[in-house]
Amino acid sequence: MASAAIAHLDIIAPPVPDSWTPKEDAGAKISELRQRRLLPVGPAYLAHARRVLGNKTFAQDDADEELNAANGDPNGAEGLIEDDLGVGDEPESSDLLLLDPKDWKNQDHYKVLGLSKLRINATLDQIRVAHRKKVLKHHPDKKAGSGDTNDDALFKCIQKAFEILSNAEKRRQFDSVDPYFLNLEADPPTSSQISTSPKAFFSLMAPVFEMEARFSKTQPAVPLGSEDASKEEVEAFYDFWYNFDSWRSFEYRDKEVNEGSDSRDDKRYTLKKNKNERDRLKKEDTARVRGLVDLAMACDPRIKRIKQEEKAAREAKKKSGPAGKGKPSKAEEAARLAAEEKAKQEAEEAAKAEAKKAKAAAANAAKKARRAAKAEAEASGSATPA
Amino acid sequence: MTSTPQPNGTVDPKKGPPSARAPPVVGINFGNSYASIAVLNKDGVPDCIANEDGERQIATALSYYGEEMYIGNQAKPQLVKNSKNTIVGFRNLLGKTSQQASHIKSVAAPISEHNGELAYTVHVLEPIPAPSIQPTPKGSHAPTPMQSPPPELAEPSYVSKTLTVSEVASIVIGSLVNSAADFLGQQIQGAVVTVPSNFSPEARAALRKSAEAAGVHVLQLLDDPAAASLAYSSLQNPPLNDRTTLVLDLGASSLDLALLSTKQGLVHSLASSHTPHIGGDAIDDKLVAFFAKEFTKKTKIALSPTSKEAADLRALSKLRLAVEHTKRTLSASPGAAACSVESLKDGMDFSGTINRLRFDIEMKPIYTAVTEAVVKLLESAGLDNALLDEVILVGGTALLPGLTSQLSTVLEESTLILSEIDPSQVLSRGAAIQAGLLASISPNDPLLAAFEEDCKALDAHVTTKTLGVYFPDEAIGAKEFIPIIVSETPLPARRTVSFVSHLDEKEGEQFVGLEIWEVKESVKVEKTKVEIEADEGEEEEEPEEIETKERTVEKETFLGSIKMPVVGSRASKKKKGPLQATVLVTIIVTADRSVEVMAHQRNSSTAPTTLRISA
Repeated sequence: MASAAIAHLDIIAPPVPDSWTPKEDAGAKISELRQRRLLPVGPAYLAHARRVLGNKTFAQDDADEELNAANGDPNGAEGLIEDDLGVGDEPESSDLLLLDPKDWKNQDHYKVLGLSKLRINATLDQIRVAHRKKVLKHHPDKKAGSGDTNDDALFKCIQKAFEILSNAEKRRQFDSVDPYFLNLEADPPTSSQISTSPKAFFSLMAPVFEMEARFSKTQPAVPLGSEDASKEEVEAFYDFWYNFDSWRSFEYRDKEVNEGSDSRDDKRYTLKKNKNERDRLKKEDTARVRGLVDLAMACDPRIKRIKQEEKAAREAKKKSGPAGKGKPSKAEEAARLAAEEKAKQEAEEAAKAEAKKAKAAAANAAKKARRAAKAEAEASGSATPA
Repeated sequence: MTSTPQPNGTVDPKKGPPSARAPPVVGINFGNSYASIAVLNKDGVPDCIANEDGERQIATALSYYGEEMYIGNQAKPQLVKNSKNTIVGFRNLLGKTSQQASHIKSVAAPISEHNGELAYTVHVLEPIPAPSIQPTPKGSHAPTPMQSPPPELAEPSYVSKTLTVSEVASIVIGSLVNSAADFLGQQIQGAVVTVPSNFSPEARAALRKSAEAAGVHVLQLLDDPAAASLAYSSLQNPPLNDRTTLVLDLGASSLDLALLSTKQGLVHSLASSHTPHIGGDAIDDKLVAFFAKEFTKKTKIALSPTSKEAADLRALSKLRLAVEHTKRTLSASPGAAACSVESLKDGMDFSGTINRLRFDIEMKPIYTAVTEAVVKLLESAGLDNALLDEVILVGGTALLPGLTSQLSTVLEESTLILSEIDPSQVLSRGAAIQAGLLASISPNDPLLAAFEEDCKALDAHVTTKTLGVYFPDEAIGAKEFIPIIVSETPLPARRTVSFVSHLDEKEGEQFVGLEIWEVKESVKVEKTKVEIEADEGEEEEEPEEIETKERTVEKETFLGSIKMPVVGSRASKKKKGPLQATVLVTIIVTADRSVEVMAHQRNSSTAPTTLRISA
C-alpha cells in the first residue's frame, strides 16, 4: 500500500462499545455505472492504462512499480541525478551540529564534508562535489524559513573545511595530523603481541606500514610483503623503511601568531617556538617510524627463517664437502672452527655496519628535513616581514 | 584498519544518461490564429518560449511578398497591402473538403481546390518560372530555391503558386519547431500538438501528416481541455484532489467550453460545447466599428465597418492591426488604452482612446454570450454550479478583466477562476508536460499504445454515486459522512483515507465501527435574510436576501459494516493527551462493480479487517 496516496482527514471518530455488532448487509450493490471516455493525459492516466492493459490489480501494480524503482528504472528520477563522483551521502551525526567554528583546528574536516570514507584518497573534484552538497543543505538561506536564522555555525565549519581541503598545502598539513589516523597510530602493536606467531606479525604489522606509507614521498611505498618473501624482497623492504622519506609536517599544530600585536619580538618568539615545536614533533615522528621498523626487524619471522636457511645451506655444504675424506683431523676441525668464528664475526660486523649506515642515512634524512623546514621557515619569515 | 590505499579517483562513473537535462521535446499549441511553443526546462517545469522575433504568441500566418516568405507575426502586417498573398486561419480547414469549407470566406489569399484538398493560390516572384505549378518542397521554410536562370529568362517574374492547406500547416509547424530547436540547442525529438476537442478524425490525420512532413515526430495530438487541465494539475503537488473543472477556451475565432471531472489525476469530459464566432475576432470587430465611428465623427470621412470598397477595406485592415495592440494594453493595465493609425483613410491620421468602462460596455454582448454558453453547458450536464470547483481560463482573449467579473456573477463564490498561468500559454505548457511524460516511456513499451486514439483503456466505467463511510449511530456525536470514492470516479479505483479515533480511557483492545454507504448528493439552496446594519443618519434599508448553497448528502444504500479492533496509544511524548489510534480505510472498486473495503490501524501488524461486496 506504499504507493497509494493517503488522504488524511481532520475527523475524530469515536469508538463503538464492545457490544456493538455490525449490521448485516442486505446484499446491496453499488449503483449502475456509466460509460465515460477518459482523456489520455498525465501520469495518472499512464498508471491507469498500465493497470487496465496489463490486467493488474492495485496490489500487483504497486509491487511491480516498487520492483522497477528498486531496479533503478532508467526512466525514473534516477536519470535526473547528477553524477556525484561517488561521494554519496553520509549520515550526519548529531555532534556535527554542535561544532564550534572557532574551534576549527580540532574539527575533522573530512567528516564535516561527509568524506570520512575517502579521506586522503579524495580527489579535488570529489571535495568540490561534497562541499557543494553540504552547502546546498546547510546554507543559512535555506534555514531562514525554519526560524533560527542565526544558526550558521555548521555552515562556517563547512566553509572552513573546504578552505583547508581545497588548498593543496593546507590539506597536506591537515593530512599530516588527521585525527582519524592519529587515533589508529596511538596504539602501535608491541613486540610481545607480534612475536606470538608469524601470522600475528603480518596481520598486525602490515596495516601499520600501509598506514605509514601515505606519508612517503616516493610512491608506491614498499609493502611488508608476505611470509614467504625472498631475501631480496625483505632487504628491499627494510632498505626502504630505514631510508623512509616522509612529507609529514606539523605546521597545523602551530600556535596562531598574534598578527594584531605590534611587538615584532613577540611575533618572532612565537614563530621560533612554533618552529622548535615542529622540529621536535618531526623528530619524534621520525623516531616513531624508526622504532616501528626496528620492532619489525627484531621480530620479523622471515629474517630468522632466512638466517636458518643460510645456516642450513652452509652446513649442508660443509657436510658434503669433507664427506669423502673420512673423519676430519683435529687441526682441520680447529681451522674450520676458526674460520667459522671469523665468518661469524665478519657477518656481525657487516650487520653492524649496515645498521650504522642505515642510522646514518636516517640521521641524514632528518637533517635534510630539518634543513628544509628551516629554509621554509625562513622563506615564510621573509614572506611576512615583521 | 586504514582504508586500503586506492589510486585517486577510484570512482565508478554513474551509469545512465550523462546529462541530467530534460528530454528535447516540445509542446505546441497550434491555434487557428495564434500558436505557442513550450519546452521543459532543466527542472522539468514547462516554459513557454519566444521565437526569434521575441514573440511568445506566434501568429499562425504565412505571407509571400516578392521572393520573400514571412511566417508568424511578420506575416500579419502583410494583410494590409498584400492580403492576396497572405494566408491566415488555415488550421480549421485541415482535413476539410471544399463543400465543408464553402461557408468560410477567406479574408486573404483565395482558396481553391487542388488535388482534392483545399489550397491557397499565391503569387510569388520567382527567378525562373517553375515547370508547371510546383509547390515548395515540403518541410522547408526556406525561400523557394534559387536556380541559375537560363540566360533568356534572367528577368524574375511573378508566377502563381498553389499551396495546399497541409503544406501551409507543415511550413508553419516546421518554423515553430525550428525556434524551439534553436532555443534548446539540440534537435527536437518529439512534439505534442494540441487540437480542439471537436476536430474531426480527418483533420487530426491531416495535422499529423503535416507535422510529420515538417520533420516533427508527433508524440500525441492532445485535446485542448486535457492540456489545460494537465498544466494546472502539475502545479499542485501531489495533484490528487478530486474536482470538477470548466475549461473556458476563448480563442480568436471561437469559444470552446469543456466540463472536466478530475479524479486523482484521471480526467474525463462530462460535457463540452463549441460556439463559433465568439472570441478575439468578434472583439476586434466591435473595436474596429467603435474606432471607425469615432474616426468618421472626428474627420467627417466616411468609414463604415461593413464597406466593401477597396480603400475602406485597407483602412479597416490597418485599424484591425492597431486595435490588437489596444486590446492587449487594456488587458494588462487598468487605465485607458490608445489606438493610433497613421494615414487611416484619405491621408488622415487617427488617434483615439478607449477606457476600460467604455470597452466593457462595448463588449457586453460578447461577455453575455460567453456567460450564457457557460450556464447552458452546466445545465446540459445537470451540474449545479455549486458543484463546480474551478474555471480554467485559456486563450489570450480570456485575459480580459471584464470577462472574469462577468463570469463571477453567474458562478458561486466557491468556484475559483484560475489564471495563474498566462491563459495564452496554458495549452502549450500542458502539451510540454505531456511530451515530457511520453518521452520518458521507452519507444518499445506497449504502454505507448495507451495514448493512441483507439485504446481500450480510454473507455472507462465511472461510478454514479458517492461511496463513503458513516460511523454507526451507537457512536455518539458522529453524524459526519466521509466520502471516499466520489461519483464520476473512473474504475478501477482505489482510495485510502486516514483519520484519528479518540478511544475510551481503558487498556487493551477497543473497537471502531464503520458503515459503508452509498449516498445521494444534492445541493440545498437556503435563502436567508440578512439585516444590513444601517449607519446612523441613513435610512433603513430593505433586508437583503442572500442565497446560500450547500452540498448535502443523504444515506441511500447500505452496503455493509466493519468492526475493527484497535489498540490505543498516546500521541504526546509525556504520555498525556487522549488515548487514540489512527485508522486507515481503503476502498477498492473494480471495473465489474465489486467493492473491497479494508480497514486497519496504522503502524500495527494485525491483518486488516476486510469486507467484500461482490458485484
